[in-house]
Amino acid sequence: MLAEASSTEVEGGRGSDATKAFLGRLSLLPGGDRIAACLQCGMCSGSCPLGYAMDMNPRKMIAALRAGRVDDLYRSDSIWLCVSCYNCSYRCPSNIPITDRLIASLREELLAGGVGVPPELQAAFEKTARYGNPFGESPKKRDAWTKEAGVEVPVLEAGDSADVLWWVGCFGSFNKRNRKDTVALARLLNVLGVDYGILGNDEWCSGDLRCTSQGEEGLFDALYRHNTAQLTTRKYKEILVGDPHAFNALTKEYRRLGTPLKVKHYTQFLAERAPELRRLMKQTMKVKVTYHDSCCLGRRNGEYESPRILLETMPGVRLVEMPRNRENALCCGGGGGANWLDSFIWERTRVPLPVLRVQEAAKTGADVLAVACPLEIPRFEDAIKTSGLEGRLRVREISDMAAEAMSLSGARLG
Amino acid sequence: MKVAVILRLVPDVVEELVIADDGRSLAEDEIMYITNELDEHALEQALLLKERRGARLTAIGVGGDQARDALATAVAKGADEAVYVPLEAQDRADSHRIGAHLAGLLRQERFEVLLAGTQSIDELDGSLGGILASHLGLPYVGGLAAVDTDPSGSKATVKKEFPGGRLAVLEVSLPAVLGIQAAEQPPRYAAVSRIMQVKKSLQVKEWKAPVPDVVGVRITGLAKPEAAGRAEMIPGDAESVAARIARLLQERGLL
Repeated sequence: MLAEASSTEVEGGRGSDATKAFLGRLSLLPGGDRIAACLQCGMCSGSCPLGYAMDMNPRKMIAALRAGRVDDLYRSDSIWLCVSCYNCSYRCPSNIPITDRLIASLREELLAGGVGVPPELQAAFEKTARYGNPFGESPKKRDAWTKEAGVEVPVLEAGDSADVLWWVGCFGSFNKRNRKDTVALARLLNVLGVDYGILGNDEWCSGDLRCTSQGEEGLFDALYRHNTAQLTTRKYKEILVGDPHAFNALTKEYRRLGTPLKVKHYTQFLAERAPELRRLMKQTMKVKVTYHDSCCLGRRNGEYESPRILLETMPGVRLVEMPRNRENALCCGGGGGANWLDSFIWERTRVPLPVLRVQEAAKTGADVLAVACPLEIPRFEDAIKTSGLEGRLRVREISDMAAEAMSLSGARLG
Repeated sequence: MKVAVILRLVPDVVEELVIADDGRSLAEDEIMYITNELDEHALEQALLLKERRGARLTAIGVGGDQARDALATAVAKGADEAVYVPLEAQDRADSHRIGAHLAGLLRQERFEVLLAGTQSIDELDGSLGGILASHLGLPYVGGLAAVDTDPSGSKATVKKEFPGGRLAVLEVSLPAVLGIQAAEQPPRYAAVSRIMQVKKSLQVKEWKAPVPDVVGVRITGLAKPEAAGRAEMIPGDAESVAARIARLLQERGLL
């Protein structure tokens, strides 16, 4: 109570009006007013994997706001060092949504105030606004991967219906290194006899921009409007997503904006069918696997078990844990738009998080680092190369491993 | 000081270009238009001039309806005024026709500085800036990487890039047309919410006049490049490699 009383009163002086206006906007967001309950304990900053490189760590950010000095934050690079790992939000004893609300709102401030964004991220914003994906690929080629699938992948047109609407996502659709995992999931769904379809070229980026605290609210709203208009013209019972970020956007942010959706991550969807999968898995894998909990699926959405259930379903898989697992997992460094801030962050830290993580994975003696988030495939593959672990450790999406266990891998189906 | 920047809408090559049935044009319904990249740099340079010299900045969007979006983005970034110059599809790649057409507009309004990208990806017949300058009887210098003006707006100091990393600093008397190769800083970002806000209240002036029937370039046919997969690496020192290349060219009747 004491903390709440002290924080709502912003100290006077220059910049205090701007600070009050900022806090006013923040308080309109779900949980935004929790910032008043900050104890200044520093748990956020101590648990932040990049806190050491921040001149303004989250605790100092809140202190600056209380002192009426939002301008101090405009001048700091720290806002762009957040990788949305959710350690701070997860551990905060006052339950302040630091990542999703404080950092996101500060980024919005910087955008609205014309301070700008780091150039790589700017390019991703511009491409997403123009093409509906951050890679700048032609929106007409979003469903091009289906030609490689070797199975029929139904595209739902307006008016069509299916039990399951599969939200493929930008990485899964466009990124060459993710497409084999997308194909694997398509084959799994076919073998399981799931009545499903995709949105094809009508799907755009889910807009987990705002939610992953990139701070482009206007862009998020534009994507939300496009996507919900598409979703309402198809009939389905549930949505299946491959990307935990899309999972988060569709379950939480779309609901907040008035579109409640029933969404499952593919590991949840498949884990529910584990006994059936087990019967179909004839191929013994003979492999030692460690699983990386993605921040977005784990700390942010509390899903730790489904990916592990699937891995343990595969014959011959021996699952070992890294010392930092589940809610303590180390971030791959790609969330919150940081996938487009790698060089910006590297210049200020020199220690890439994915390199630290693959080293942890290698120390377990595992042959495979299993993941359930598409960003981690390119991020960890690159980290394995730069840390000299090639040949010792492989990164694999769980969908691809499941397909192998069911003899569904390879260029073409027999 | 009055500054104008020309934003030319060009086909976005992210989308595959499809040749229309007439064999001489691009299939219009397959084209997505985008602001010419170097015109984005010209806009950024214009915004820097505005900030430095307090200039009034007019953005002139040339092309189809998509030019209105480009103008809204320009105003969201800081342009003061937006003028839309509609252009039929068949005129959009023709710098001579666009130049003659825009000259009609630009003779009416006197700008001290006219900025355009030094080239555009769809131009077939030379730089729009130079053609425009010849119509207006103004000096033109292109390939620029920086522009500043004196406080009175009577002359500009520009940096021009030459091949081999050389840079010239030139003075140009104003008014002048300046072709921008790269702005002094990368084009800035306009948040989507800001662009949406601008779109709601933006008053775009439309300039309608018949496009002068000047002869630029006549396209007789379009074809996709033929894919060929053969390459031969010529080993040896410079002398023997040169001799071999000369022989090859002779054999193929090219020398």
